[in-house]
Amino acid sequence: MIPEIGGAAAMVALALAVWGAVAAAVGTRTGRPALVLSAQHAALGVFVLVTACFALLTYAFLTFDFSLRYVAINTNLGTPFYYRITAVWGALEGSIILWAWMLSLYTLIVILRHRESAQELYPWVLTVMLAVMAFFLLVITVAAPPFERLAPVPADGRGLNPLLEDTGMITHPVALYLGFTGLTVPFAFALAALISGRVGDAWITMTRRWTIIAWYFLSLGLLIGGWWSYHVLGWGGYWAWDPVENAAFMPWLTATALLHSVMIQERRRMLKLWNLSLVILTFGLTLFGTFLTRSGVIASVHAFTQGSIGVFFLSFLALVLFTALGLLAWRWDALRAQGALDSILSRESAFLLNNVLLVAAAFTVFFGTVFPLLSEAVRGVKVSVGAPFFNQVNVPLFLALMFLMGVGPLIAWRRASLDSLRRNFVWPVALGALSAAPFFALGVRGAVALLAFVLTVFVAATISVDFVRATRARKRMGERVLPAMGGLLLRHNRRYGGFVVHLGILIVALGVTGSQAWSVQTETTLRRGEAVELAGYRVRFEGLSASEESNHFKVTGAFTVSNGRAVGVLQPAKKFYPQETSPIAGVDYRLGLREDVYLVLGDFAQDGSQATVKLQVNRLVSWIWIGGAVLTLGAMLAILPERKKPA
Amino acid sequence: MTRRPVRWLLPLSVVPLLALLAYGFRVNPHEIPSPLVGRPAPGFALQTFEGAPFALEAQRGKVVVLNFWASWCRPACYEEAPVLERQWRTYRERGLVVIGVDIQDRDEAARTFVREFGLSFPNGRDTAGKVSVDYGVYGVPETFFIDRQGRIRAKHVGAVTDEAFRTNVEKLLADTTG
Amino acid sequence: MRRHAKFVVGGAVIAAALGYMIYAGVTQSAVYFVTPSELRAAPVAGKAYRLGGMVEAGSLRWEPRTLDLSFALGDGKTTVPVRHKGSPPDLFGERRGAVVEGSWTAEGYFKASLILAKHSEEYKAPHDGGQPGYKELMRTLKSDGR
Repeated sequence: MIPEIGGAAAMVALALAVWGAVAAAVGTRTGRPALVLSAQHAALGVFVLVTACFALLTYAFLTFDFSLRYVAINTNLGTPFYYRITAVWGALEGSIILWAWMLSLYTLIVILRHRESAQELYPWVLTVMLAVMAFFLLVITVAAPPFERLAPVPADGRGLNPLLEDTGMITHPVALYLGFTGLTVPFAFALAALISGRVGDAWITMTRRWTIIAWYFLSLGLLIGGWWSYHVLGWGGYWAWDPVENAAFMPWLTATALLHSVMIQERRRMLKLWNLSLVILTFGLTLFGTFLTRSGVIASVHAFTQGSIGVFFLSFLALVLFTALGLLAWRWDALRAQGALDSILSRESAFLLNNVLLVAAAFTVFFGTVFPLLSEAVRGVKVSVGAPFFNQVNVPLFLALMFLMGVGPLIAWRRASLDSLRRNFVWPVALGALSAAPFFALGVRGAVALLAFVLTVFVAATISVDFVRATRARKRMGERVLPAMGGLLLRHNRRYGGFVVHLGILIVALGVTGSQAWSVQTETTLRRGEAVELAGYRVRFEGLSASEESNHFKVTGAFTVSNGRAVGVLQPAKKFYPQETSPIAGVDYRLGLREDVYLVLGDFAQDGSQATVKLQVNRLVSWIWIGGAVLTLGAMLAILPERKKPA
Repeated sequence: MTRRPVRWLLPLSVVPLLALLAYGFRVNPHEIPSPLVGRPAPGFALQTFEGAPFALEAQRGKVVVLNFWASWCRPACYEEAPVLERQWRTYRERGLVVIGVDIQDRDEAARTFVREFGLSFPNGRDTAGKVSVDYGVYGVPETFFIDRQGRIRAKHVGAVTDEAFRTNVEKLLADTTG
Repeated sequence: MRRHAKFVVGGAVIAAALGYMIYAGVTQSAVYFVTPSELRAAPVAGKAYRLGGMVEAGSLRWEPRTLDLSFALGDGKTTVPVRHKGSPPDLFGERRGAVVEGSWTAEGYFKASLILAKHSEEYKAPHDGGQPGYKELMRTLKSDGR
């Protein structure tokens, strides 16, 4: 029953989406508001039907309905309750349903927010969003149907990939997809602007908040992904420049560029063509990302599966790029700038450079990701580039971006006079330069690490200079310090939200720098009672124990850790799942502000007399997660509705 | 002046990229280049579930499809069993031998599997585990296509489809030099 | 007009700088995929390779105390001796496929810095989790008392 209802719901939803896209377009072209209204209803219908599909699939998972192939592959009778829910989006078919559901939700919100306020653009926005919706529904009905039956019905399923049995699995895809699907909205507005000819600034002001929200979820998704990699995969790292990771990072980079260039268009009416191209590029990269992870075209440790789905995504990507860029070429003449760059020393210039650097980084990541394919096509040789390539090229770009984080918000618009430069930057530059010596004394020797720390001081100083000066101005008008500060944050929430986000990024950068520069590791085999020492920590092997869990066997090692005083007992384990080729490593760790102690259990003797362990002392990694929290606060502050200044 | 044609470079510029990505589809991931391909198939003998003896060496001159499976291998083995049976019935007259080797399984569960799918080609258990080791079997299902001279010509990993079966078998049946 | 020229020149400079950085990055970190036969045909000491093949039966040596792992990778035609410092990853064993990343040494063996494994969704593995008699293992460990 469930497969039939689910399949039918998806097909009806597809029909509705197609109808809605066409109706909205025809309705606005021929001046028939009734058609546009009908499209709205169609969108609502799509949302209800996709929600039903999602609910039915979840129900099948919760009730162990192994007559569904998708359920049989991804769970078994031993899968714990909450993981049965997250398993719904744990593999290809379910992940597309999740994507489609979020897209339909966003469409609904767009309708509610903009149907009154965006008269000319709105119907076209609806068309584009429903067209994208139709594509994903097409994938669900044709290429990756989640409601396929399995006959004969097996008595037990295969089981969820054990690496996915983790809290990160609950949040990482959700956050990431909210980001990806959210980027459809600015794209829809951009196309609406091009189609309707209203390429002024309305479309971009309307989508500013959407871009921040989507960008935020993307950032969150990336950070959680890093956290999941760190505490589950057992290699002690959080980012590997894997093609799937890169697929999410590229749109993040271009979305960040967009967040900044929007401000230039708002203020100076420049960069119209650039902004439209950036939005199209960002959405294109989103599609490219899903293509990459689902087509198997580029080998990756976590590629999903191959099949006809790759062809679907590539075709859609081609269609989107041709249509969008074609529209851009058509409206070329209307996209002339009304302002111009007056001086290299200006905020416009800083933001432009910011954009160039971010796009350059995105290009670098893109190039490195498709390089194996390129080299095979051109020279017939399979060559890949690993982490060293990405780090080597991107690190200078990111350092330059850090510098701009300090310069951009403070430097004057149009043309910064020498006087204003002095007033704004003399303290931060001085503080930054002076801090080099103490850092060096503290042990920061590498040039890159030192530069990163110095730049952090510089940027933090610029933020303080701005904040202090603004507070002082308010004090002079009679306000007391704390209310002045609060008022500043709320009244200029965009600006200060941005500052807090910058601070968050800086903290993440510090964490990355520290962990790359100063983490140490060792691997050794210990007999019971023996200990290994690293970076002041002493880890002693006490013994092994075995236990039986609901869907796996577990061998746990006990290790006492001390660094002068007792730190605790770490219990890394090896989990044996019947459906997996090999055991899965369970990591144990003690997190700290300065460093994390990280232990992975490797080979062990059957009688428990000895065990091989990998011990890592990772420095400053926790600051990456702290930076993420700060970033969250900043993004929330920035999204708050603007308070209109009285008179 | 030159503005008009230049702008259309924009949409055209994505063509090379799309071509490159499409190029990536050419590789078929199920055809694993196994080191065993091209080598003589390791000989083995076992007893089928019916009690009859089966020896690979005795099949010389015929095309042999050797399939490794298990009753707990879901859903792949369950998907390919009807395919194997169907193709076996189509090709048996033309000198094709299909032999299923059940590995790391329980006797009763295996017999139930054979009965459920009505498999009429010989199936037997690899009781000592030697056959799967000799063929470097890493997981199930795995299918080996062996030519008339007793050489392994292809290895298919994952559930065999009608298409894959037919393509490999037709090629080997056409070779009548053995 | 002059403003435009400034942009074009600036853009060209940045593009050139980026191009150079990418070129340098690629040439320094490019890793070539080879089979044992391909490597044997033209080995270059010090060059970074990814070597794929089958772990030859009887070639695997693992010394837990010194963490020395050595084995031979073959492709049916030739074999290459490989050495690695560190415990073998879980998806690793004789008569199984493996991909290693490292470089060819002047002493005549492949020094692997990384042993890579790949998971497949459609492919199912033997019940025992790849390790013989793991149920026995559980029993001995449980009776061990800890």
